[in-house]
Amino acid sequence: MNTLSKRVWLLAGGIITILGCCVLILYLRQSSIQGSDAFTACLYQDGRLLQTIPLDQVTETYRFTLDAANGGYNIIEVSPGGIAIVEADCPDQICVLQGRVTDSLLPITCLPHRLVIELQPGAPASSYNSPDAVAY
Amino acid sequence: MHTRKLTVLALFTALALAIYSVESLLPPVAPLPGIKLGLANIITLLVLHLYTAKDAALVLLARVLLSALLFGQAMSLLYSLCGGLLCFAAMTLASRLLHRRFPELTSILGGIFHNIGQILAALLITAVPGVLVYLPYLLISGIVTGLFTGLCARFALRCLRRLPTSR
Repeated sequence: MNTLSKRVWLLAGGIITILGCCVLILYLRQSSIQGSDAFTACLYQDGRLLQTIPLDQVTETYRFTLDAANGGYNIIEVSPGGIAIVEADCPDQICVLQGRVTDSLLPITCLPHRLVIELQPGAPASSYNSPDAVAY
Repeated sequence: MHTRKLTVLALFTALALAIYSVESLLPPVAPLPGIKLGLANIITLLVLHLYTAKDAALVLLARVLLSALLFGQAMSLLYSLCGGLLCFAAMTLASRLLHRRFPELTSILGGIFHNIGQILAALLITAVPGVLVYLPYLLISGIVTGLFTGLCARFALRCLRRLPTSR
């Protein structure tokens, strides 16, 4: 086998290994979140934890607006067991398209506004945190 | 640089810009940040395989600057630049190692490194380690779209190798 075909097989093998690892990680993550139904939403802005919302304690759907440091905004809708960004003035609208999130599989990210909403299984360490600011 | 080569490279830049602008009109493929087809990379691959890495870098740089001027999004420029630099470095190395004969492998490697660069930029921007869970999704999409753009480049190269201006 000459050097070129050796390199081709090595690269192809490496790519297939990466692909396999990714599928395995996704499968393991998917199966690990089954069974837990209480999630706590953690809202991060600019890397700071803004607030935590225990979603199993939410009884009524409500909305509030988060202003970004660069002038933009995100309107967040909290409903029993789920959270969504329903409106934003960012150019790509990816956070809005992701819709309502009810498990810890994928966080909602709005990169233009440096906002991340991450769901973690279980109740937060502190028993209950009400939102800092609510605008209806 | 010969006038002929300059003209061909300018033509490639215009093509890349056109492909990029058409792709930006398409709705997002998946509602995840960082997943896109990257069709403009076909042009980078072509120049990389037909000419030199320096020429490909020039075309890429011209495309990035022009698209920032035309469709300017300062924020997305930061993390697409981060991914683009890593991607270009990986593709240059790969095409050299593979004697410019396997554009699809080169392109897949570029896709993988593009997404790694994007995640690193997102990590820096948001400072939330949780964004790392996007990585497996991005890597899979990078491999699939990389294969697609690589195959496009292969079919285009089959015709373009007959160009008298090559090399």
